[in-house]
Amino acid sequence: MRLPTGTHFDSYTADHAWWKTRFLWIRMVLLGVILLVVIPLFVGDYWLGFLNMVGYTILGAVGVQLLIGYTGIVTLGHAAPIGLGAFACALFMYLFGVPYLAALVIGMIAGGLLSLVFGLPSIRVKGFYLIMTTMAMQFITIDIILTQYLGPLAGKGRGGVLAIEPEMFSIGPWVIYHTRDAYIWMVILVIIVLVFMANLMRTRVGRAWMAIRDNDIAAEALGVNIIYYKLLAFFIAGALGGLAGCYWLTNLTIVSPEHFMLGWSLWLVGVILIGGVGSLYGVIFGALFMTGVLELVKFALVPLSGIWPGAAAQFLNVKDLVFGLAIILFLIYEPNGLAYRWWQIKNYIHLWPFSY
Amino acid sequence: MVHFTEILITGLLVGGIYACIALGWAIIFKTSGVINLATGELTMIGGYTCFALYVTFGLPFIAALLGMLAIAIGLGILTERLWLRPMIGEPVLSVIMVTVGISFAYKAMVALIWGADTRVFSPLVFPLEPLMLGPIHVSQVFLYSFIVAGIMMAILVYFFQRTRIGLAMQATADDEMAARSMGIPASSVYRWTWIIAFMSCGIAGALLGNINGLNISIGYMGLLVLPAVVIGGMNSIPGAVAGGLIIGVLENLGDAYISRFFPGGVKSTFPFIVMLIVMLWRPYGLWGWVKIERM
Repeated sequence: MRLPTGTHFDSYTADHAWWKTRFLWIRMVLLGVILLVVIPLFVGDYWLGFLNMVGYTILGAVGVQLLIGYTGIVTLGHAAPIGLGAFACALFMYLFGVPYLAALVIGMIAGGLLSLVFGLPSIRVKGFYLIMTTMAMQFITIDIILTQYLGPLAGKGRGGVLAIEPEMFSIGPWVIYHTRDAYIWMVILVIIVLVFMANLMRTRVGRAWMAIRDNDIAAEALGVNIIYYKLLAFFIAGALGGLAGCYWLTNLTIVSPEHFMLGWSLWLVGVILIGGVGSLYGVIFGALFMTGVLELVKFALVPLSGIWPGAAAQFLNVKDLVFGLAIILFLIYEPNGLAYRWWQIKNYIHLWPFSY
Repeated sequence: MVHFTEILITGLLVGGIYACIALGWAIIFKTSGVINLATGELTMIGGYTCFALYVTFGLPFIAALLGMLAIAIGLGILTERLWLRPMIGEPVLSVIMVTVGISFAYKAMVALIWGADTRVFSPLVFPLEPLMLGPIHVSQVFLYSFIVAGIMMAILVYFFQRTRIGLAMQATADDEMAARSMGIPASSVYRWTWIIAFMSCGIAGALLGNINGLNISIGYMGLLVLPAVVIGGMNSIPGAVAGGLIIGVLENLGDAYISRFFPGGVKSTFPFIVMLIVMLWRPYGLWGWVKIERM
């Protein structure tokens, strides 16, 4: 952390604070005001919807970042806890009329437990075989449990879509009804999750995870209980996934197994690879970048449809093409991701004009 | 009993096609340690190229198949050179994610070129009426597919055991460092790996297209065949072939006898469940190297 000249601290608490100077505090408060007041007041529904998508991607990718970036467990099935969380939340609200916040907690626990169960093989194997078990989690949860069993449970057919009345999404007197409400709820959730994660990484737990990531055998030799911490990582990542799923339900008021296919799991991994592995900034940048590129593709296809009829119908394919190429090119040319680039730019500005 | 034998034989014949895909999977894992998640897309590209040569350009099927193999060689070289070569020496997760990127990009390209509709090989390549072996019906498509797949396998076995580059590939798979210090160029080995994976998967794609018609979802075939590779052992080529046959049989048995007790999805899931059981019992597969890092 670079500090201005003459700044000194009288206590360890102050020394370990996130924002050490008044300037930083003002900046962060300003950011908060912009996010929570200015944007909802002046931005139209379309772009709020876009930001909601970014927020959902952030919420989903944080769990992937925890597993891949911080604990070194490769997961290719993170859409499973997200989907189960969304379905658990929806089912409890739909069948039993559970209040929204309670259903949210149930969704988080469901996602966490699912992730924990499929994380059990990580006690014994790692690497390739763990990729297999996470992919098994993806297929078993989404294609079998959600599609075949949970849809019919709510009286819908197989692969049925669950729709919740928007009025049910209420926290006290506040009903999350408009896109604007969903946006504010998204900002609150993202802030809570990021603060939670950033602080968790500074505690014993986070350091144990990073020790496991860097060298699991050395970590065990130093007394880190690998089994406990790996399973904890699975549980927390799954619970965060469940939270993302509940937010998705809030945002859309409908949920279908179609939303959580393998492609979404891979998309989330792509997001953290493009943003930067092992960095919370990476999650934000990756989510912004990928969702932004999607939006660009959408806008680029509209004028193209004059020359190329049916361009709009090809949106999904062009999106996949761009996503695939983005992952490949980032991995080849910028393997450290956007977060590293951001750090370089910040450093450059800090050091200017003596950037040696 | 006749019914059971029919299921068994159909499973074995389909298994031949799966074995082709499994081989494409295993060879890349064996030489470079990378799970190629784009295997399904290689299958898809093979199928569509063969389709284009056979239906659009009107070549005879054998010529279309050979032309597809030639294109597969070109695409294999191109893919390896453009996207895998720069990744040599990078962490395995990065390389796996590159293959994920390749899978997204290739699938999108195929969808852009050929659209999302199901395409059928018309006129039919193999006659529809089943062959009778005593009381047992055998579909001709399956039988000929099995034969084509078998020929492909035989050529590959010859290639691995008798040719210089095949032996170089085996050496690299065994110990890359030692192979390189003996003067085997790693890059040419990787190139050949991709060429063979492309050809083997492409043949499987063309044959699958004859059975079910071609559409984008054939890309999922790559994942459905994954249990074959795991059951056989990731780094064993004969294991992959045997795994492919086993998966073909399991899938058909599951479909015939178990699926009536469940609402659906048994056919594709049953191999995965067997795979999980095999992984608990022998994580390195039936014929894989016993070299697994345990925690």
